[in-house]
Amino acid sequence: MTIKRINIGENHFDLHPSGAIYWVEKETLMLADVHLGKVAHFRKNGIAVPREAEGSFYKKITLLFNKFEVNRILFLGDLFHSFQNNEWHLFSSWVKQQQNELILIEGNHDVIPASKFEQLGMTITSDFSEETFYFCHFPTKKEKYFVFCGHVHPGVKLKGAGLQQLKMPCFFQSQNQLILPAFGAFTGLHILSPKEDDRVYVTSGKEVMEIERN
Amino acid sequence: MKEVAQWFDDQGWRPQAFQKECWKAYAQGLNGMLHAPTGSGKTLALWGGIVQEAFHVKKHPTGLQALWLTPLRALAVEIQQATQRITTDLIPELQVALRTGDTSQSERTKQKQKPSFGLVTTPESLHVILSTKDHQKQFKNLKVIIVDEWHELLGTKRGVQVELALAYLRSFLPVLKVWGISATLGNKDLAREILLGPLENYTIVKADINKKINVKSILPKKMESFPWRGHLGIQLLPHVLKLVKKNKTTLIFTNTRAQCEIWFHELLNAEPNLAGSMAMHHGSIDKKLRLWVEEALRKEQLKVVVCTSSLDLGVDFSPVENCVQIGSPKGVGRFIQRAGRSGHKPKAGSTIHFLPTHAMELIESVALQRGIESQQIEDRMPYLNSYDVLLQFLMTLAVGSGFQPKKLFPIIKQTFCFQTLNDEQWQWIINFLVKGSQSLEYYDEYKKVNVLEDGSLKVVNKGIAMRHRFSMGTIVSDAILKVRYQKGGYLGTVEEWFVAKLKPGDVFTFSGRNLELIRMHNMEVIVRKSKSKKGRIPAWMGGRMSFSAHLSDLLKNALFENQNQETPEFKSLRPVFYQQKKESIVPQPHQFLIERFETKEGFHTVFYPFEGYAIHEALASLMAYRISLLSPITFSMSFNDYGFELLSDQAFSKEYFLDNNLLTIEHLHEDLERSINVSEMARRRFRDIAVISGLVFQGFHNKPIKAKHLQSSSQLFYDVFKDYEPNNLLYQQALEETFDHGMERGRMIKVFENIQKQDIVWRDCSQPTPFSFPLITDRIRSKLSSESVEDRIKKMYLQLEKK
Repeated sequence: MTIKRINIGENHFDLHPSGAIYWVEKETLMLADVHLGKVAHFRKNGIAVPREAEGSFYKKITLLFNKFEVNRILFLGDLFHSFQNNEWHLFSSWVKQQQNELILIEGNHDVIPASKFEQLGMTITSDFSEETFYFCHFPTKKEKYFVFCGHVHPGVKLKGAGLQQLKMPCFFQSQNQLILPAFGAFTGLHILSPKEDDRVYVTSGKEVMEIERN
Repeated sequence: MKEVAQWFDDQGWRPQAFQKECWKAYAQGLNGMLHAPTGSGKTLALWGGIVQEAFHVKKHPTGLQALWLTPLRALAVEIQQATQRITTDLIPELQVALRTGDTSQSERTKQKQKPSFGLVTTPESLHVILSTKDHQKQFKNLKVIIVDEWHELLGTKRGVQVELALAYLRSFLPVLKVWGISATLGNKDLAREILLGPLENYTIVKADINKKINVKSILPKKMESFPWRGHLGIQLLPHVLKLVKKNKTTLIFTNTRAQCEIWFHELLNAEPNLAGSMAMHHGSIDKKLRLWVEEALRKEQLKVVVCTSSLDLGVDFSPVENCVQIGSPKGVGRFIQRAGRSGHKPKAGSTIHFLPTHAMELIESVALQRGIESQQIEDRMPYLNSYDVLLQFLMTLAVGSGFQPKKLFPIIKQTFCFQTLNDEQWQWIINFLVKGSQSLEYYDEYKKVNVLEDGSLKVVNKGIAMRHRFSMGTIVSDAILKVRYQKGGYLGTVEEWFVAKLKPGDVFTFSGRNLELIRMHNMEVIVRKSKSKKGRIPAWMGGRMSFSAHLSDLLKNALFENQNQETPEFKSLRPVFYQQKKESIVPQPHQFLIERFETKEGFHTVFYPFEGYAIHEALASLMAYRISLLSPITFSMSFNDYGFELLSDQAFSKEYFLDNNLLTIEHLHEDLERSINVSEMARRRFRDIAVISGLVFQGFHNKPIKAKHLQSSSQLFYDVFKDYEPNNLLYQQALEETFDHGMERGRMIKVFENIQKQDIVWRDCSQPTPFSFPLITDRIRSKLSSESVEDRIKKMYLQLEKK
């Protein structure tokens, strides 16, 4: 696993190949678009996605805990894919084991009532800010703030010699904004076209790499 | 045969021998297969027997008695009219109804309440009827099924649909008769076996109609100015205009809908006077418009129609005098079919003009002429073990009356497609429907099909039933959006991915008009007319057709034997051959040519086996795989009917390639299998499978019913199956289909045996050769890599947004 560290102002952020960002100064982990229960939702509606595709969240997060000193997790929206299903029980028993502060910023898929999360001791909010950083679900601009967000499931198309092409998930940084890749499995990509000043950090699942423009 | 023969007489017609033969066989209660070309009178050959039999029945039972299956909707209308006419004349109280995807809900209800004597329908619509609860009652008086244009269905998944429906209907209608109508196929015994299945009392009737077909190539005056690649052929437009002016009615056949739009546009630009007497016909244009075009053709109101395969079949357009084929028709059968559109009177000869879009296609013209002389249509390869179609069919029964797995299994096994299906696979299928997996876990909430107390399987959940009903049918395409004017007026459909690339204000060409996009709303594309002269042309997926094996043999022969002969085509090709020989060679039968050259895109290695697209796709992947074992390398591959190209950013050495004997026949199967896995050739196959089996729900395109949170893509499914459930039968099916249909397993070995006998000629060229040009400029490519993703990414860069 090769992490890419970037600086924004005085702060340091580690872009992890899993799609998470670790805010070093605040010991905070950010995750966007986990889409828990998506597999279960499909299955409940008669579409047989392999159940194993769902399990990756707990494996990946354990990996992150081993790597970073975490005392707070910020979910940047779309934590759950749809209405409550059995996946909720797995999640709530996981939450009960956590010592960290858990904050959910609501996304468009989050249709489970806020009270359910609050009963588990989570904080649920539409947005969140700290120092000069602003956290939300949808990409947005906010004056005097740097924005972290999700929603898009960003990916880029890479080109190379010999007519090679690859589509890869990425962290997509434009002026005063960074969009995180989707953390969940079985979520898909939305391909973005970068502009001159955008910075793109592709993740292969093993390594995060900044990509040059041609 | 008195009454029907008399009716023929009344029309001033004389029954042909094959028609009389069919009537007789039908009267004897036989099943059968009729081999007859379109427009030969085949409809009445079969319907005549049915009407004759009905004539002597005193009191007709209510309910459907004769079912006519046809692959195309346009054809269904035609058949319904023809059969209704003779029926009305002889037995006025009997009706023939029509039911296709275009039939309104109220009409369907009427058909159910008051069933007619005959019904003309498509395989999809038949399955829709099977999804109703009381379909067994509806069919209880059914005596005969006729499957029209069987050669068009055979070798497709719609053919599998027909097989399943037939086996199922036979299970409760033991005396049901089955007749097929087909063009003459190479493998006609197999075609009969698949359709008639276990039935023994059958006969085969062959219509002896040898229609003379003349092929004329449209040749450019100067070959130097003729492009080496391309697919439009617009530069030859003046020649086409001349032909249009000379004849009363001309049909111009194109291979894709996009090509159709472009030709329509360009013809109109070149000859504005044609406005009003010119029309376009393709599958995405609104039904009303299409029917209007067909009617206007019949009434001789149109001078020229630009069309796609939507006008290939049936439909008696006697006024058509002249046909033009733009680009390779990719198969002798299709070419004969299209040529048959002109001079559509029995025994009259047909002429078709072949317009090559690039130099190499001229060789095809020669090959096609050879194929037509021998009057042979290529074999159609039936599908085996299409689990996707089976799952869809089981769901169809489960949303209707339900089914007993134990009783159904032997019925399914009667079909050709599922003859080898074993208990284990059947159980897998049933588990997939009931449990969504092969093992049960306690917290899983999978819901699709329920097991009732009596052991039968049935869909209880209404949402699931509804989604299935809406997504039935095996023809796959991307999500489809309606195109309409802001003030109303429906124009047709485009695929979502095309519109997704447009912004409001952008202009695109559709249905022959330039339209400005206003907005997208509720699965509709709202447009207004645009005065802009230039618009983007939509493309439709699935536009690419593959060359048949049969034509590739003809092609090889044409190239090897005829290049010194004095056909007009080869005379025109001389400058191209001259250029080819300057850098390389024109290979002889004992030579296997490989060319290598470098351009700014990288290192091109081009192989010329002349074995047809399907074989080349597999060969490319196999060669790339074997080379990639020697050292980490990434290839981008293209293939056509002549050869294939491996493009890479680093050059693998000639000595390396030759010394390692990479063209060996040893381990052929293992290597092919691995190359399929590595190159992900199966990925594209999986797209259809995911939709047909109901994994990917395409939404309700005309009814915005909520299917929220259930959108996904077949690609995503392919990835999760590959990673988490590689033994999933649907994933396995994608690999198997790539093997069987993509590469024609048996032929591959022969190809390799042949290569062993050839001399390998490796040419290092200073620039691309004419033979290589269509290949290296092709942008539809596959890839194969033995480098790590990380290493590849590090050599790549971002494509910035275009300003």
